[in-house]
Formats: sequence, structure tokens, C-alpha cells
Amino acid sequence: MAEKVLVKGNEALGEAAIRAGCRYYFGYPITPQSELTEYMSRRLPEVGGVFLQAESEVSVVNMLYGASCMGVRVMTSTSSPGFSLMQEGISYMAGAELPAVFINVVRGGPGLGDIQPAQGDYLQATKGGGHGDYRLIVLGPSTIQEAIELVMLAFDLADEYRTPVEVLADGMIGQMMEPVEFPEMRSLDTLPEKPWALTGAKGRKPNKITSFDLDPYKLEEMNLRYEATRKRIIANEQRWEEENIEGADILVAAYGTVGRIMKTVMEMARERGIKVGLFRPITLWPFPYKRLEELSKGVDTVFTVEMSGGQMLEDVKLAVKDNAKTPFYGRMGGVVPTPEEILDQIESLVKGSENR
Amino acid sequence: MNEDRFDLRIVNNNKRLFAFIGDFGSGKTELAINFALMRKALGKEVAIADLDVVNLYFRSREYVDYLEKLGIKVILPPREYRNADVPIITPVVMGSISDHNIDLVLDIGGEEDGVAVLGYLSEYLKKEAYEVLFVINGRRPFTRKIEDIVSLYDRLTRKARGVKINSLVNNTNLMDETTGEIVKEGEELLVEVSKVLSIPVAFNSIAEGVDLKGITLKYPIFRIKRFNVTY
Repeated sequence: MAEKVLVKGNEALGEAAIRAGCRYYFGYPITPQSELTEYMSRRLPEVGGVFLQAESEVSVVNMLYGASCMGVRVMTSTSSPGFSLMQEGISYMAGAELPAVFINVVRGGPGLGDIQPAQGDYLQATKGGGHGDYRLIVLGPSTIQEAIELVMLAFDLADEYRTPVEVLADGMIGQMMEPVEFPEMRSLDTLPEKPWALTGAKGRKPNKITSFDLDPYKLEEMNLRYEATRKRIIANEQRWEEENIEGADILVAAYGTVGRIMKTVMEMARERGIKVGLFRPITLWPFPYKRLEELSKGVDTVFTVEMSGGQMLEDVKLAVKDNAKTPFYGRMGGVVPTPEEILDQIESLVKGSENR
Repeated sequence: MNEDRFDLRIVNNNKRLFAFIGDFGSGKTELAINFALMRKALGKEVAIADLDVVNLYFRSREYVDYLEKLGIKVILPPREYRNADVPIITPVVMGSISDHNIDLVLDIGGEEDGVAVLGYLSEYLKKEAYEVLFVINGRRPFTRKIEDIVSLYDRLTRKARGVKINSLVNNTNLMDETTGEIVKEGEELLVEVSKVLSIPVAFNSIAEGVDLKGITLKYPIFRIKRFNVTY
């Protein structure tokens, strides 16, 4: 067994990428993820990789496009405003079916916002922040150990489905420290073959990678191909965690940092005699609609808690339909809700439905 | 105060300026706060200055109310700039360095960029008897090996503009998963580093509750209270 080390989330995200076989990182520093950029600048030369600090996020995403065309594993990391700047390029990469991993360590917004943790970028991440018909696979870690696993998974999914994948963390996950174990370094020889890559066309027909066709019928064909991929992802890749579901008085839907806080809330609630169940989506896209729909049939209330004004709430409502009530509690601007305040909300919701 | 909470050998000196430096996440802030509490318990007038210009998360300004209730003065940038992502060093720091009525604990930011602040204060510090403590957690990725710690020491020294690093502190831990063996492993690492750098190990910083049964440590023990809140 590997020895445990004490790491910051940002460092863990970087090390996980290297262990997944990523040797190309392009980035532009932004709080609260700058340690990740710094970590890559320190570590990539040690493993024969390339670290390049670009002049802006717009350059970063285009460097990723170029490097990904060569068939190598590529990544960048940024925080909210930086991720917004990358949207045009991400849309191009989705159109060109280029695998890449984007880590967004979300901060308070909109606009410049602040550098504290938030979940206000959920809709941008899951509904496509750029133009055109595309979706990113979006993974939401709630612990540092899980962040390591999801970064490794992100690279595999990106290659398998030829799509950009976003790891949606937040300032809390990025900045907090936890003891973790890293998996073994993945040998570059074991990475999937990419016969579509631009590798020089020696002894074969040239490959072509592009996001457009001027003929609308051909472009529609391309779009139908993307759609078929999306359907395969939806069918195969939904991930979630559920806890304490059996006989729960109330079901809470929360992801990422709030999903983590909910573990404490559930323990505290037990002491107050309330049984709280947790549904924590891990893939935010594809959202696990079907499972949440099934679960919602067994409860009165599916309570969504987010560090936003109610973004995942829209997906929760699509899943729950009329099976249960769907109240919401959120904090914004970089404020992290305390376990006590969430529990108070739960308590009044549970009492409210008993009094009905 | 509980007798075994700190070992008097680590406070038996005539110094009144203590600066904690080290790698990101080595535990400097937590240690600085505990050190300030300990000096206060010895009956000193104590101030703590948050000079972490590198990282705005998890640093001593989060604990202002707690410390001020205990009578420890917290020196911070002006209120309106506290959440700004800009480096600010208030002139109160220079004043406090020269004020012989108080013990001053300096919580310095991580790595060489953080230590640049010490360099900035070097003209003031050099006139006084100061102690710069290099905090090391042997379970952090970049301070696990002797050569890495020595290289970090070199980089820190370069930015400190003649301010000397006086001693090493073993803060090897895995937070809640720390064991006596992990502390011991860290101490053994620092014994070797100490030989290479010719700097003494000042003490072992160990969180309250870590069981040291069956563990013999060579250097004094400083029991610290954990401050970082985890959910």
C-alpha cells in the first residue's frame, strides 16, 4: 500500500493528472487554484512533461486544442472567470471531438466575484457554457481522495468518448488539506491508442480534425454523431452516491463541498432524531435523473442545498417531477453554509410536513 | 495550564520575536497561533502578525475574535482590504518589532514568495533578538526527502535577505490520522536535515490527542490545538 501524504486539494488534482498520464499542461494562474498551476510547473519537468504558462485563458484553450490533436493527454485548470474565457475554445474542442480535462476550482461570482468557494458555475458546466449543441462530462468531487479518483476517471472518459471533461471543484476542495493515497503512476504505454490523431501520416492516409463543415447536411451528420456519443455517455456513465436512504424522513440532494458538509449534517440530525438521506450526484452531467426519480417516490421532500442560488435544483426538479416537494436552500458569493444552518432548515421542513 | 502541553525547554530563551516559515501547508499558521497562546500563558504581552501575503485561505486572520478574547493582539491589514487578494504589510508590524514590551509572533506565508516578507522586514529584525523557525511536515509531498528540505532551505534563505533561519520544527502529521510513529519518523528525518544544515531541531509540534505511548522522542514536545475546521 502506498504511504499516505498530507496534500492540499489543488496539489492532489495536479498529481492525479500526472499519474493518469498527463504530460501537457497549459494554464494561467488564478486564485483559488494557483497552487495547482504551480504544482504542475514543479512536477511536470520531473516526469519529462511540458508546463507552459500562457498569456491568457484564450491561449490556454487553443494550446489544449493543438496538443490534444496530437493524441496526448492534456489538461488545464482555472477558476470561474478564467473558465468563462475558455468557452469558445471548449466549444471548438467539443466540435472537433478532442479529449481534454478542464479543472474548474469555482469561486464566488458572477463577474470578478471573490476568491471564496462557490457552486455558481453548475449551469455553465452542465448545460454547455459555449455555443452549439454539446455537453461536457462534468464530475463533482466532494473529498480530496475522490478528486484524485475523478481526475483519473476524467482522462479515461475523455479518451473513450473523445470529449472534453470538466472536473467541477470549488475553492474549498482546492484549498483544504487531507491525508490521501495516490494510485500508481500510469505507464504511458498503457494509454489508449488514438488512430485519429495527427501524428505525421507516415504510411497512412492523413487524418483531419475539424469542428465545422460548410455544408449544413454534413454538419448535421457531425451533430448526429455527437448526439449518439452523448446517448452512450448517458446510458453508461451516470454516477452518484446514496446514503441513509432506507426510511429517511427527508432526502437531501447536494454535490461537491455541500455533499461533504451533509455527512456531518446527517450525523448531527441523527442526534436530534431526524433521519436524513443523501443523494449526491458525482456525474453532474450526465445527471442521474432516473435514480433520483425512483428515490423521490419514497419521500415527501427532496431538499436541495447548494452554494448557489439554485442551479442543480433545476435538474433535481426534472428528476423528481411531482413525486415530492422540492424546497431549496443556498448560500452565494463564497459563503459556505455551516452544518448547523443546514440542519435547522431540515428540522423546520421535517416538522412542517409532520404538522400537515 | 496543563504541564505537559509544552515543554519549558522550548521557551527558555531571551527572545521576543518569533517567525514561522516553511512550505505551503506545513502548519505554520496553526503553530504560530499556538505559540502565541503559549507565550500569553507565560504571562507575556503577545501580538501575532498575519503576514501571509500568499494564501488567503486558512490563515490567522480567521481566528481574530478567538485570539482577541484571550488578550492577544492580532495585527492585520486594514479591515476593508482583508479579503483582497493583494499583499499588504501594515506599518504596525515594524512598530511592533521594535516595541520591547511585547512578544511578537510572525505568521509568514508559504515558500520563498512568503519569505520575501521577512526580507522586507530584515532591517528591523536584524536589530533585535529574533528566532526564525522553519516548520517541516515530513508527510507533505515536497518535504519528504532530505534533499528537498535542504533545497527549500536554500530558496528560503535567498529571499530572507540575511535574516537567519535559527531552528527546525518537526510538524510531521497526517491531521486526524497522525500517530506517534509518524511523529517519530519526522523527527528522524529532521535529525538528518539538522546535520546537513547545521541548524538545531527546536521541538516536535504534536496535536493534542496524538498518542505517544511507546514512542521516545529526542526533542521537546509542544502540544498544539488544532484550528483548521474540517467538515
